[in-house]
Amino acid sequence: MIRRLQILILSLVFVACASVAFATEFAVIVHPSNAAKAMSLGDLGKILREKTMNWPNGRAITIVIRDPNSPAMKFVIEKAMGGTAEDGKAVLNEESRKPAATVIFVPTDEDIVKAVETNPTAIGIVDVYNITSGVKVIRIDDKQPFDPGYALKGH
Amino acid sequence: MRRWNVFQNIVITVFAVAFAIAATSPLANAQASATVRKSTASLAKSDTVPVTTSSRLARQDYELGLSHREDLLFTEEGIEFFRKAVQADPHFALGHATLAFFTTDPSEEVRELGLVKASISHAAPDEKLLIQWMTGTKNGQLIPAIAAMNDLLAKYPNDKRLANMYGEWLLGAQQNYDQAAKVLEKILQKDPDYYPALNNLAYSYALGGRAELAPPLMDQYVAALPGQPNPQDSYAEILRMLGDFPDALDHYRTALRIAPTFFTSQVGIASTYALMGDEERARLEYLKPIDMAKERTDRMDYRILWAMTYFRENRPGLARKAFGEVAAEAHKQNLPIEEAECHRDTALFDPDPDSAMNDLDAASAVLTDKRHILSRTRDTELAKILQTRSFIAARSGNVDAARKALEELNSMAQTNRDNVVQDAYHSANGAVMFLQGDYSGAISDLEEDPRDPLSLQLLADAQSKSGQTADAQKTLATLAAINDETIEMAVVVPPVRAALKSNSSPSAQGTSH
Repeated sequence: MIRRLQILILSLVFVACASVAFATEFAVIVHPSNAAKAMSLGDLGKILREKTMNWPNGRAITIVIRDPNSPAMKFVIEKAMGGTAEDGKAVLNEESRKPAATVIFVPTDEDIVKAVETNPTAIGIVDVYNITSGVKVIRIDDKQPFDPGYALKGH
Repeated sequence: MRRWNVFQNIVITVFAVAFAIAATSPLANAQASATVRKSTASLAKSDTVPVTTSSRLARQDYELGLSHREDLLFTEEGIEFFRKAVQADPHFALGHATLAFFTTDPSEEVRELGLVKASISHAAPDEKLLIQWMTGTKNGQLIPAIAAMNDLLAKYPNDKRLANMYGEWLLGAQQNYDQAAKVLEKILQKDPDYYPALNNLAYSYALGGRAELAPPLMDQYVAALPGQPNPQDSYAEILRMLGDFPDALDHYRTALRIAPTFFTSQVGIASTYALMGDEERARLEYLKPIDMAKERTDRMDYRILWAMTYFRENRPGLARKAFGEVAAEAHKQNLPIEEAECHRDTALFDPDPDSAMNDLDAASAVLTDKRHILSRTRDTELAKILQTRSFIAARSGNVDAARKALEELNSMAQTNRDNVVQDAYHSANGAVMFLQGDYSGAISDLEEDPRDPLSLQLLADAQSKSGQTADAQKTLATLAAINDETIEMAVVVPPVRAALKSNSSPSAQGTSH
């Protein structure tokens, strides 16, 4: 019953024979103590490509993301790093990055959030519906998730 | 009818009070069903978000509200209990927030959100997080709201009702079916018989394109609550979505046999007849819930569905008259959203684009009146009106009208992050690009609104014009499979089905406008 009413109110429709895409928004998150409040999508790409390795305070950036082969990360890699997901994965997996441990792959968004909550130098990318108050969502190209035109809105 | 309802309230009261006091009492055990008892007993006090009120009666009514609204989906009764709770304790912040969250009455929503602010200091810290989530979802503060809810879920991992509420919001308000399923699956991993989650998960699967997973959950839901109407009602709705109308009617009727006052099943029967094309029977059936519903907004919504049957059977004169009468009644009752919706619905069926635009002017004018509705609620309806304007403009090749609608939506979308507003913006942008001949741009924007028949119709046209014939056919097949009671479906889907049947190419520009 409850769904019927909401369907009526929100004008939802059911698609029986085709799997519909759903839109989700990816949040770029940092530790609350991190001074960063915003960055451009290009800046995020530079961090992922290891062109930018340090925060303005000089501390090394640790990237915490999901497996680059996951559909969600493929979207984020293509969007933020440009080029194909395969190129992006290769860059993220480069051997030379490993000693510095600048990229950590974890299985779930919850793991990313936990890692960022406890690491003042970390930056993570998660589905916005998984954020907690223990992380800070930073603006990308002056927009945050749910803003129209937000760069990291995916399907 | 009434006797059953009274009995049911007594039963719910017994175990809700038992919960409020401690856990399960012998009396509750004797009266409640085994499944319900198990679910209630598992909600030990320390496992749930605190509820702060100085009034024992308010606490009891609040718990009864949750039992009715969230567990058994007796929505009207649930809301009534929340009203009683805040009457018993006017400083009950969570009570006000919960009433604001669930009410369908826009005036009440505004009033209760104001009372939350006035009483928030009385709430416990974790309770404030829940209040922050509830109010944040209403006033557009979604990021802090989501963060607050996830904090709570981490602190109260065994609060199944809390998680179910979040799942229900993800499903209904956010239309994020995958995320909703994730939250709800987690609840069922801990308690496979937690029936509110079974219901919501079935809908998450059905609406998210995994329909084959829904019926087994519905079977489980029905088995868990054999004496309750909502499992039958939900099963009926899912079967109707799948196009199985006779079985849907059977389940709706079973729900009504269990609970003759469960009027949403009566609405379900009426709408199923409407979808089957038996509009005369549908009208007769709609009269029953119009009489049964207590909430004025519900009654008005059902009257709108009743009026829509005249459009469905292609009797535009009677339809316009019926919608005019409903609009006048909505005006009299100070229900501007419903009044505006009547004008918008009339526009969608109007074959003359100029006259349709006049209807839409009337719809917008209603919302410019100073009424007691939240600006976000007003924006949501206005967004639908503007999207409709852009759709009609696209159908009639009126670029200027489409651009004007887009300008207004663009401005609204900058400040209102509601999904309806955002989707309407993309739909209107797609319509403008379509009219400018930028079909690839149109496709990109229209794909941002993949569940609205108006956008899907334009998407199919844009795909067809850009040579993506296979994609266009897929979009049309998607459209043709929609079975719901919305005006958009009633306008767009029948011609698409007819065209697919005759193997011609249905086009938005080739239909009524």
